[in-house]
Amino acid sequence: MFFTAPPRLQIRTPSPTTIEFTVTTSLPPSLPLFILRPLLSTLRLLSLTTLTLLLLTRLFPPSESPPLPLLSFLTPVLALLSSLPIIPQALALPFYQFYPTLLLATYVSLYRVSTQESLLVMKQLGVQTSTTAGTLWGQGRKTRFIPTANVRDVVLLEGFWGWQVRYYVAVVVEGEGKLVVVFPTLLPRRETCEIVWRGARKCL
Amino acid sequence: MRPLLLAIIIFIAGYFTARYSLITQVIDLSISAWERGVVGRATKAFLILSIFFFLFCIPIERIVARDPSVVSRKYISTRTTATTRKLLMGPPPSDDLMRIFWPLDISRSSALSAPSSSTTISIMANPQPGVLVGWRNSAMDIFVVAVLTGLNSARIENELRSRTLFRKTTHNLDRMFQLCGRNQLHVLGELNGNPPPDDRLFSPDYIHAFTYKTSRLPRIWCPPGSGITLQVILFNRPYPRQMEYLMLNPICLVLEDKPKDDEDEILEDQDEREERIKQKELIEKLKLHSVAKRALTEKEQSLQRIIDQINCSYETRDLIVENAALLASRRQRRALSVSERVVESAQSAWKSFLRMCVETAKFLWPFITTAFVCIMLFWRCLADILLQLLEWRLRPEYAAFKDISATAQQIDIRLQQFCYWPLQYVTLRRRKGDWDSVTTSHPDYIRFYNSLWLVANDIIIGIALGSYIIENAAAVAYGIDYYLRVYTVEGIKHMIHWLMDQPLGLKLNNDLAKFLGDLFLWVVDYWAGTMTSLRPHLPYIIYAIGISSFAGASMPIALFSDLLSLLTLHILSFYIASARIYNWQLTIILSLFHLFRGKKRNVLRNRIDACDYGLDQLLVGSVLFTLLIFLLPTVLVFYILFATARTAIISLKASLETCLAFLNHFPLFALMLRVKDPQRLPGGIRFELHDTTEVSCAFGNEPDAPASYILLKSTPLTVTQIFDQYFQLALRIRKHYISPHVILCLVTGRFVPPLHRRNLYSMQYSMLPTRRASMWEVWSKVQGEERRD
Repeated sequence: MFFTAPPRLQIRTPSPTTIEFTVTTSLPPSLPLFILRPLLSTLRLLSLTTLTLLLLTRLFPPSESPPLPLLSFLTPVLALLSSLPIIPQALALPFYQFYPTLLLATYVSLYRVSTQESLLVMKQLGVQTSTTAGTLWGQGRKTRFIPTANVRDVVLLEGFWGWQVRYYVAVVVEGEGKLVVVFPTLLPRRETCEIVWRGARKCL
Repeated sequence: MRPLLLAIIIFIAGYFTARYSLITQVIDLSISAWERGVVGRATKAFLILSIFFFLFCIPIERIVARDPSVVSRKYISTRTTATTRKLLMGPPPSDDLMRIFWPLDISRSSALSAPSSSTTISIMANPQPGVLVGWRNSAMDIFVVAVLTGLNSARIENELRSRTLFRKTTHNLDRMFQLCGRNQLHVLGELNGNPPPDDRLFSPDYIHAFTYKTSRLPRIWCPPGSGITLQVILFNRPYPRQMEYLMLNPICLVLEDKPKDDEDEILEDQDEREERIKQKELIEKLKLHSVAKRALTEKEQSLQRIIDQINCSYETRDLIVENAALLASRRQRRALSVSERVVESAQSAWKSFLRMCVETAKFLWPFITTAFVCIMLFWRCLADILLQLLEWRLRPEYAAFKDISATAQQIDIRLQQFCYWPLQYVTLRRRKGDWDSVTTSHPDYIRFYNSLWLVANDIIIGIALGSYIIENAAAVAYGIDYYLRVYTVEGIKHMIHWLMDQPLGLKLNNDLAKFLGDLFLWVVDYWAGTMTSLRPHLPYIIYAIGISSFAGASMPIALFSDLLSLLTLHILSFYIASARIYNWQLTIILSLFHLFRGKKRNVLRNRIDACDYGLDQLLVGSVLFTLLIFLLPTVLVFYILFATARTAIISLKASLETCLAFLNHFPLFALMLRVKDPQRLPGGIRFELHDTTEVSCAFGNEPDAPASYILLKSTPLTVTQIFDQYFQLALRIRKHYISPHVILCLVTGRFVPPLHRRNLYSMQYSMLPTRRASMWEVWSKVQGEERRD
């Protein structure tokens, strides 16, 4: 993907009893990135506005008279939009192609570029895994906090994943039949996992 | 009381909106406002103001905030990496962990000190020193509740011990202490006091904290030599009056009084049960794998108690601060002089009149409530009788009336809700006599108002639907009659004629097809004749359905569903007849096939044995086998036709049932709360680690023991969790109907087993208790509530 780097580990430890491991695919901070990021946000905003306008034009065609009075201030914008190259063809699509395309475009413009997953270990308090991936809204952010009383163990395991063997860190939770996998989408390499596992064990 | 009033107001508003088409008028008004350019002017003004704000206010604020914090970033970053390295390589951290829970509003309200300048790192003498008061969960685990100003710590300790600080309490004080799991508040330390001399070591009994204007985080004085690491957990107090609270586990929107095992046995099929047993074994096995489980320290076990303390902290703080202010500003009262008394009595003449009115009302109040309770109990009696009727079974194994008809079930649900409301309301009223921080009844509150709101919504939609149906009864009746005739009579006739006449060029057996087709056509004709005699009465039936919809939109839907199953009775009978014929034929073919191979099915052993048949037996069997094989396609096409028709009707009814489910059990209130105030739907907690550089910058680079700042937040319930029941129901239906067993039944023409009723409708009943309270229980509970008032 664009704007992403191979997963790398960041560690934050303000005190030896609290430690946060973050695996992220975002690019390390640099000047081009500093310029690109606002550009990307602008592009996102622009595409979302265009999509909304497209939907409005589709639902209330400006050629129909009389146009909705509340939407009349949009007429010049819509006229401008219709003069752009692809837009008229897009508006002429049948509904079973138009709406899925619109949904897909919305998803793409809301798609989060980089994935970030972290494990926060707090001594005598608990373990928290969190994932930030997918779209900007909705199911993208997930956190799960496990109190120390429920943590049976933190383990480093290997498992099959497609055609390869991957190492992963997992938390064994008291009374649950399933392991809680740490960094479930990125599944970083063994060296990283080892650092995380050692750090978490020491901290707990 | 307020939410009830609100619900009634919303209901009335909804009614008026529906009645006088307020929405259209509002749109007209907004259009006229638009035409006069109101919106344009408002937008312009808003734009100008926001541009001004972005251009001037925000940059200035940022610059001011940044200025003192731009100190020695380099130093801090090197220190961070050093700690990281030490942690990963070095020995495990010592056990001396001091945990401090710190409400964020303290830092905000009492940070009156000027920002510490970047050059002089010394802590400035603070004009607003205070004493920290809170719970001491263990020696190294403290929970700050409030900051008291204007009193010294020794006096506060005394007052806390003698409980003078809790004098103005409105509710039982011991209850609060019991909630928080402690029996005493303590003085924990001081805020913004004089810095202790450098040679003293850190003592967890009396901490020194400082707040700064540049940061919302407190700084805890702790020299690095003391060998203690700090963990400051910051939280925002939930506001109990708004029913905000924190929970470790997600809040449960379903009523949990069902007997669990009994329920599970019905809901689960074989696979699920096996899966569960296997998982239990796995968990047990896993327990054997950890060699030595160290005993949990008190700090680790106290998480639930701390969550309770956080929930209570708002009210505790208010109580203490109020009393402390009274103590600090206690002054002597002097007796009133004569002139003052005259003035006061003149002023209170109106008040005494009011008091008389109140006294009269108080005298009448018990009579009014008793009368009201009696009326309610009378209605409750009627409801009970009706419910008994609906649940009555001819024999225990037969289906009750409410299991057959959707209308009966709808009435049953409404009546059960009606029976449960008084009890729910009593539970909610009881909340008044207790602290607001007691969070046990909050799910009850959500359930109660959800069901009230749904009923109100149902009635509003019903009024709109009903008035339409009544006004257009003839047209609606004509439409229903037309569609029924075209699809269930004419359509079926047409299809049967088509099947009798070599459909798709298939060479079916003409004679059998003619026989079967004539049979079905004769029944359809008879049914059509009955329908014709019913036709003149249909508008009246529709009119009656329209009137019933004033009891809620769910009523006409349920009635329509019942009407549909009545008016398509012939298709059901065709389906059963053709399925039977088809199934018999298949069974005969199967057994003849065994005969063909010289085998026989042994019913006793449930297996296929070899068998010696006579020559005539074999001959007749083979002839019959061939015959039936050639006749099978003809029967099959009829079976397919009626099975398809039946499936179509079932899916139509299923969609109506889905509508009913949405009207009866939509988490409307929960969704509104999720939008309005996510903190009222707690779905667990999460932590956020504060950036080290930010923390150190705010305080300057005074050497301190390593401290981590963690922000505790509430995670609201996700939308998926709110709709969890719907997903479970969908999963169960999918598992049942798209299973190989059901498809096999459909293919061989056997009876398709329906999903267990309790399974299908468990969602609609999930907000209701399984056992209805008896009249006596209701009476005693309501009376008890009155006496308490």
